[in-house]
Amino acid sequence: MHTPVPSAFTGTSNMIAVLVLLTEFGMFRAPLLRSQLRLYALQSFLVTILAGFLAISHHIPELYALGIISFVLKVLIVPYVIRRFLDRAEISLSDDRSLGVASMTLLAMAVSVVGFFTMNSIHFDSAALPTAALDISMAVVLVAFLLAILRSDVVSQAIGFLSLENGVSIASMVVASGLPLVIDIAFLFDLLVASVVFGLLMRVHHARAKTLSTENLDRLKG
Amino acid sequence: MGSLNLMPAVVQAVQVLTILMGAPLVSGVVAKIAAGLQGRRGPRILQPYYDLVKLFSKETLIPDNSSWVFLIAPIIAFVCYLTVPLLIPVLTTFGLPLGYMGDILGGGFILALAGFSVALAGTETRAPYAQLGSSRAMTFGALIEPTVLFVVFAAGIITATDLPYSMAATVRSSASQIVRPAHILAALAFFMVVLTDTGRIPVESHSGTLEFGMIDEGRTLEHSGAPFALLKWGSAMKQLILYTILIDVFVAPWGLASNTRLISVLIAIPALLVKAIILGTVFAVIDNSFSKLRLFKITEFLAAAFLLAALSVLVFYLGGG
Repeated sequence: MHTPVPSAFTGTSNMIAVLVLLTEFGMFRAPLLRSQLRLYALQSFLVTILAGFLAISHHIPELYALGIISFVLKVLIVPYVIRRFLDRAEISLSDDRSLGVASMTLLAMAVSVVGFFTMNSIHFDSAALPTAALDISMAVVLVAFLLAILRSDVVSQAIGFLSLENGVSIASMVVASGLPLVIDIAFLFDLLVASVVFGLLMRVHHARAKTLSTENLDRLKG
Repeated sequence: MGSLNLMPAVVQAVQVLTILMGAPLVSGVVAKIAAGLQGRRGPRILQPYYDLVKLFSKETLIPDNSSWVFLIAPIIAFVCYLTVPLLIPVLTTFGLPLGYMGDILGGGFILALAGFSVALAGTETRAPYAQLGSSRAMTFGALIEPTVLFVVFAAGIITATDLPYSMAATVRSSASQIVRPAHILAALAFFMVVLTDTGRIPVESHSGTLEFGMIDEGRTLEHSGAPFALLKWGSAMKQLILYTILIDVFVAPWGLASNTRLISVLIAIPALLVKAIILGTVFAVIDNSFSKLRLFKITEFLAAAFLLAALSVLVFYLGGG
């Protein structure tokens, strides 16, 4: 089996996409909410780098604008908002350990394999980014789902949703890097709205339950 | 003199000798650098050699109830460590006469045999700390094994062979081979394997004397005299062998001799040692910047290494990356 060697451009962009996936795994495993948040900022930064890399190599000026806006929004503002909430809540450790390390890692790997396989069977040829980035973005989305499902504290669930958006934005770069800027910006403002809503929900939940855990919500009836 | 050609068998012997004689030097220099990072003066660079000379002249004590296994294990381990340099690119870019008698996995098996025999000797002493170290070393050895296998798989599917030489040649061939994720992830995973197998900080404190935290070091607590010297020498050689595999197969396979001319072999020896010392410095910096993981957290570290190795194979196999 000899597949052709990918070009340096393909290799680098795949590598950045893989790093995004690795930060997703890191968030999935991080016990400290603060380090989870830091990983989210790092992941958003990597997505920004990928956008910038794509903009330079393919001369797509819209992507510069997108990169700058997503940097300000996802690397600076959103982490700041959640960080301030964490500072006020004075809870730093996510206390749930529903699954062991090995099973969590294996589960996340299995899920990302599913992502790889499904996207790989589509045979999508992109003009801008290698197809492998699309596979990886699907894996990021699925692991983000897992993060939001398995971790039972509000901050992790919010971060799971936000990082899901990072996976989607990589996918959108692969599928439609020439997308009109307006649509991308609309997506980003959706994210801003989502983070405001999440901030509000987290604050209300913390004020009512005196904890970040959502386990007591599972027991509600009616 | 520069055009003098050496016989391949001689070059091969020089490969083994480089590992044999260079290993204590690399350990000494890295220990000195590590001491400098901590603001200490540290031992002399040649201290590991003096230690070996001293130990060889000391008497050998054998614990009660232990058998010939206790004495023969250090020799088996030492011979294993002398065999592996025949199989891996230490000084040359091409396989020497005995270089093709085993692939990467073969080298891994021989290293595992060495680790097994030392652990067996440790268990045989019936001393608590040696047994503790042996059992831990085997446990974590088994947990790191899947990672090693996946790194080998990654190298195997990238080059379509299982020879370390062709992996190094592939890395040298172009920049696009270096930045591809399959290669970077496999190299990172192997870096973590080396960190684990050489008993470095996130896993084990390298220079500690606290028995409860010991893994690899604990196994040899009952040995003394010449067998202990062989074990110490062996562990220095194992470290240099692993460094060599990481450097000459995955990270920086440059500066190797591409022919059997005397001058290129003579250049390759210091090139390898300098690269190994640079890598050792990286490990010393890691030693200084992180704390040791709790014993039960080591599995998380190993799981992360496995994740990298498995992703490397996946990205290659499904994405062509």
